[in-house]
Amino acid sequence: MAKTSQAAKPLPKFEDHSKQETKYTTCYMCACRCGIKVTIEDNKVRFIQGNRDHPINQGVLCAKGNAGIMKQQSPAKLRKPLLRKQNAERGKAEFEEISWDKALDILTERLQNIRDTDPKKLAYFTGRDQMQALTGLWASQFGTINWAAHGGFCSVNMAAGGLYTMGHAFWEFGDPDWDRTKYFMMWGVAEDHSSNPIKIGIEKLKRNGGKFVAVNPVRTGYQAVADEWVGIRPGTDAMLALSMIHVLLQNEQFDWEFLIRYTNAPYLVVNTPGQKGDGLILRDEDGKPLAWDLEKEDFVDATQVDIKPALFWEGQAADGRPVRTSMSILAEKYLDSEYSPENAEKVCGVPAEQIERLALEMAHVAFKETITVDVEWTDWAGRKHDKFIGRPVSMHAMRGISAHSNGFQTCRALHFLQILLGTVDVPGGHLAKAPYPKHIPPGIKPAKDCAPNTPLSSPPLGFPTCPEDLVINEDGSPKRIDKAYSWDAPVSSHGMMHMVITNAWKGDPYPIDTLMMFMANMSWNSTMNTAEVMKMLADKDENGEYKIPFLVIADAFHSEIVNYADLVLPDTTYLERFDTVSMLDRPISEPHAACDSIRHAVLTPDRDVRSWQEVQVELAKRLKFPAFTKEDGTPKFQDYKDFIVNFEKAPGIGFLAGWRGKDGKSHLRGEPNPNQWEAYIENGAFFKYDLPENMHFYRFANKDYLEMAKEVGWNGSTDQIVIELYSETMQRFRLAGQGLYDGPMPTKEEHKERLKTYFDPLPFHYTPLEEQRINSEEYPFHAVNQRPMYMYHSWDSQNAWLRQITAQNYLFMNRQKGEEMGIEDKSWVWVESHNGRIRVQVKLMEGVEPNTVWTWNAIGKQSGAWGLKPDADESQKGFLMNHLISELLPAKNGEMEITNSDPITGQAAWYDLKVKIYPAHEGEEGSFPEFETIKPLPNATKPDHVQEHKGQEVGRYQSHDAVNLKRPLGDILTRGKK
Amino acid sequence: MKLGLVIDLDVCVGCHACAVACKQWNTSGTTGALSDYEPYGKQPSGVWFNRVRNFEVGDYPNNKTINFPMSCMHCEDAACVTVCPTGASYKREEDGVVLVDQDKCMGCNYCSWACPYGARELDKVSGTMKKCTLCIDRIYDQELAPEDRQPSCVITCPAHARHFGDFEDPNSNVSTLVRERGGRALMPELGYNPTNKYLPPRVARPVPTDDVKMDLVSKVKNWVNKAISK
Amino acid sequence: MHPAFSVIFFTVTSGLGYGLMTLMVIAYLTGFGGVTEQSALIAGVAALVFITLGLLSSTLHLANPKNAIRAFSRFRTSWLSREGVFAVLFYPFALMFLFCIWKISTGEHEMGMGGIVAGIIAAILAMVTIFSTGMIYACLKTIRQWNTALTPANYMTLGLMLGALFLAAIQATAETLTLAMALIAFAGVMKLMYYAWIAEPAGSTINSATGFTNDKVRILEPGHTADTFLNHEFGHTVLPSKSFMLRSLVFILGFIIPFILVMMGKENMILIYAAVISAYAGILVERWLFFAEARHVVNLYHGAQRT
Repeated sequence: MAKTSQAAKPLPKFEDHSKQETKYTTCYMCACRCGIKVTIEDNKVRFIQGNRDHPINQGVLCAKGNAGIMKQQSPAKLRKPLLRKQNAERGKAEFEEISWDKALDILTERLQNIRDTDPKKLAYFTGRDQMQALTGLWASQFGTINWAAHGGFCSVNMAAGGLYTMGHAFWEFGDPDWDRTKYFMMWGVAEDHSSNPIKIGIEKLKRNGGKFVAVNPVRTGYQAVADEWVGIRPGTDAMLALSMIHVLLQNEQFDWEFLIRYTNAPYLVVNTPGQKGDGLILRDEDGKPLAWDLEKEDFVDATQVDIKPALFWEGQAADGRPVRTSMSILAEKYLDSEYSPENAEKVCGVPAEQIERLALEMAHVAFKETITVDVEWTDWAGRKHDKFIGRPVSMHAMRGISAHSNGFQTCRALHFLQILLGTVDVPGGHLAKAPYPKHIPPGIKPAKDCAPNTPLSSPPLGFPTCPEDLVINEDGSPKRIDKAYSWDAPVSSHGMMHMVITNAWKGDPYPIDTLMMFMANMSWNSTMNTAEVMKMLADKDENGEYKIPFLVIADAFHSEIVNYADLVLPDTTYLERFDTVSMLDRPISEPHAACDSIRHAVLTPDRDVRSWQEVQVELAKRLKFPAFTKEDGTPKFQDYKDFIVNFEKAPGIGFLAGWRGKDGKSHLRGEPNPNQWEAYIENGAFFKYDLPENMHFYRFANKDYLEMAKEVGWNGSTDQIVIELYSETMQRFRLAGQGLYDGPMPTKEEHKERLKTYFDPLPFHYTPLEEQRINSEEYPFHAVNQRPMYMYHSWDSQNAWLRQITAQNYLFMNRQKGEEMGIEDKSWVWVESHNGRIRVQVKLMEGVEPNTVWTWNAIGKQSGAWGLKPDADESQKGFLMNHLISELLPAKNGEMEITNSDPITGQAAWYDLKVKIYPAHEGEEGSFPEFETIKPLPNATKPDHVQEHKGQEVGRYQSHDAVNLKRPLGDILTRGKK
Repeated sequence: MKLGLVIDLDVCVGCHACAVACKQWNTSGTTGALSDYEPYGKQPSGVWFNRVRNFEVGDYPNNKTINFPMSCMHCEDAACVTVCPTGASYKREEDGVVLVDQDKCMGCNYCSWACPYGARELDKVSGTMKKCTLCIDRIYDQELAPEDRQPSCVITCPAHARHFGDFEDPNSNVSTLVRERGGRALMPELGYNPTNKYLPPRVARPVPTDDVKMDLVSKVKNWVNKAISK
Repeated sequence: MHPAFSVIFFTVTSGLGYGLMTLMVIAYLTGFGGVTEQSALIAGVAALVFITLGLLSSTLHLANPKNAIRAFSRFRTSWLSREGVFAVLFYPFALMFLFCIWKISTGEHEMGMGGIVAGIIAAILAMVTIFSTGMIYACLKTIRQWNTALTPANYMTLGLMLGALFLAAIQATAETLTLAMALIAFAGVMKLMYYAWIAEPAGSTINSATGFTNDKVRILEPGHTADTFLNHEFGHTVLPSKSFMLRSLVFILGFIIPFILVMMGKENMILIYAAVISAYAGILVERWLFFAEARHVVNLYHGAQRT
């Protein structure tokens, strides 16, 4: 920093700071949840900057965070509750403004009726919110199993892949050890969770001389600064990862000790193909897994301490059944020539030489550049160690892996690489973040049944481990409206929001009464098959009744879905609300600190809006949910703030972990503290509990950590968390598919086939499902999309500043490929999939794999939405790829309809899309399809910073009059050349 | 002093944080407001001091993407200042910051013609030329904490790809970076001596693999179990 | 560069005015072409009208004209400021000289030393002003098509050429006609040299603009999808075919037709007038091209490979 404390000449007083107030809160321009410092002048924002003390962003702030002012100024802000006018058709945006009292009365009456009769007739799904602990509790208390957030179409494969393998995951559940890692491989990440920490981390890595390898079909953003770019063909990452495992095994480069001590690699697996029990882990009478002890030369309880289990062993169990270790199966599987680099090259388009070299480079860093952290720690068995051994190879992966129908197994394949290299929760590797790691999988099972006026017996979402855990009827039919936890997708741990509208419209498995959605643009960029879904939302049955009878939308902005609402409940902006980023949900923890945070109202709304948090608590009071009501029938909590302070999930455990106890001195667990909000606000809106050094690593087997995690309610037991290479859960489902399971089994051939094929207990590569069903010669291109860093996960790309960067998206394609096909830069082309076609403008570029085309997602808007003028570029030239993507797989003759999702987790397979491309005829310009212009909302107003200037609208935002820095006339007349 | 910026192309991920932070700070800053034309309409555009461009170097598959933020270079031989007829454009003697006095500019655009870097943009509403002030109203504001007395773009940069400092001081952060990392000027052939410098991408260290490669590829059957205590 | 009509009209029209004034002063003082007091007065007044119209038009492109008066303050470094100062200084001397001629024409006075000096100074200032106008463009290293001595040379010769044609239209004598033809030929050759010079590839490239000099560099995205001030101001391009057509028009209208008309027009003033109009139109096209074909280096940051 320059020494600028003394300027040579006096400067004017630029800002009157006495008129300003500084308030700390949490950003919500995306899901990264950075700490922000908001400077306010006269209830107007002067400036938003990063909070230097905040664990997530450490003072920095991205483009979105910096554009918060324009979110606050947005003309699309909803102003008052809206009711569809009587006799007006749904979808025509004919609304009347009503009072909050009336809105809540209407909704309460409707919901009360549902709750009294058949609670599952309420489907409640939420989009880009981060308060699933509250919305989930609300749904449980209401008594409907039809609740989920948007994880199913977002990135459940990453969460499930990690939680079913190593107890934490990529996404927000873990981070590379940026301070120590020397080799970082990033898979399928455009911009994603968590945006600022990744940027901070990559710079650190590069400054420390580490190597950064990026696996991605597109070279933009992070891949731009990668030292090596692996331009892989989409949907083939599992093949690449498993081929690298092939190389590691061939060269005997894997961490023996790590595998033996911390994973189920030495567990013995029964090998009796075609018989019941095949592929299950060999267990003793108490259900303990068995291993072969090399010294005792006998079977031993594999969970015991001080045994010497064989990593590779084949033999016969006491009952004569053939058994072998998980590792033996794994090694045999991946040493097969199917996974040779030469074969992988054919699948992934990555040169064999490069695959081999990358695998060996990681092995070198892991095993020849091993690091240690000299801190004494105690393992789960109570043995002391004087240091943590670190293997400084780390990874991060996100949507490019998860948004394929093979994403779960691909994600597991990546974790396998990490595990074989011994890099999980070790110095320099991939570190878990509290409340993770959890036992594998976490011990919550999804609720199965609803009853009138009765809360659910468990949360609507959980982690099945066997067919008994599915949410299905006796006949195997789904119980949930989204068909999550059915044979369609047994491990759909985040629900399947992308199927809700289609299923509700069909009445399959049953019709619903009310669909309530928060912050989810399901008629536009958050749905597959947009044009058809728009029709479904407004479709009527033969009696003239809407097939989805009542649609409630809660949103802060005039998004496309608002158009279809019967009742609109206007939300506040993030600067106008109280909110928690809770440890019960997806907190902001860092690897070495348990953290959570709050938002508080730093601005007063200028319109009649209420935060969805408040509205939910209010509805809970009105509907008299048990958790919200005292025995005498009066409400337990006055409002959201009161609820957050006083609600206890378990004694001493509430939404906020910091400053608990009556005196505010207990952390993580303690009695409610009436002054908890004030304590958070005073601390800059976040709470950070630094873990002691001996709990920084190996937490899956770290006694002190495991004990603490149980004490504060993160985990249910202090048992060692055994990393699951071999997934017995997968095998149980596979046995059900094979007809060899003692328990529920599918009846439909399609389901059996899916279970047999995809529920492999060890990850494998398979061609994404859409690609299996279409002719790749007819549809030669993979079509994927990514959000730009300056709009990723932001709930408003209409932002007046950000849309100046990108108001129109192009279809990017490889230049050489485009030239071969006679497609010119900036020309209009048709892009066609099995589901439809769109017209888009092309841009040619170098940094894209030749068989792939891509675009910036969610730039295209419906004309008139989001407060934009009808002729805005977003609606005239921008486009959505969603039209091309079907929520159902291309039909096979006579087969049942199958969701376009991962067959294991139900993750929406956005990136499986395959297309053909051909030039548009001359004169065919502008994006297609086009939709009618949405009417403006009643009393829509122009933001106060917008004025007319010479026939043009001009925005000029200022929090105070500018103080110019004047140049003296003497200087003008006398200065020479410079 | 010779104040300016160093931009590290090795780590800039092209997120536009600097550009928007600049917009945000400066729309209420000394030369604000910064107009946005048709902010909610067709072809939205506006006055920005800082733009992030993306270039591709080399042909596929030997291509590299370069994210390239650009703002005023605060040139030592600032032609924009030389050509300004009104004296509104000037380079401060004490620190080298190039500014436009908004009360004196007549909006002739001539300075923007002289600038090779596209650093100057006319504001149609005020009729004056606007440009990066190096956040003069931050860096000298004694009421701000010392670490906040830096340009907004530098403070906000999530990849720490931007550095602010005094190039006259050979031991400053910016001088050191330029020296150690081979910082370079853009279009040096024009002779404007831009103060801002760009650090080229680093060349990654080679990672050896010969010490982990086996001569004879092993098979499972060959492996001898190691007796490792769990 | 964006070809702003106000600037095109200004430079051509004031160039004509300054050229005319210069030639008139020289012709009158030396007796060249038998320029009479009446012709000199007509030429002088016409020149002042052209110059004034041009200058007024030049202020039209100012976004904040209330500060135009400040444009005189940076004479030390700015050619634009110098142009303004010289343009203003020119007026008293030109008016003084015209006043003298008027006095002479009314028979009240003879041309004294003061008048002669005023005339010479006015003529010099007229040339210096056109030179300054040329230097406004020529000093910009950012635009290689302008950054040459040929720019002020062209401005001066074209101003003188138009001035000579106009003078011949006021007083067509063998000498004035010959002068006009000579200047047309000279200016035409100069313009040819200019076009030949800018055809040579030179200057900054996308490589030097980005610092990546070993490989092909291409723009991926400029950081905005709508055009900005920079695109509007500097993004103008002319297709090669259109450029050839317009350059041909410059030579046909600006040089060839006027030359032929003047050659044929000894007896017929209509042809001389037509020559003036044709040349003026041709030079307007020339000036449009001068701007439109100028490629500012900032275009390298919007994807141009070279300027």
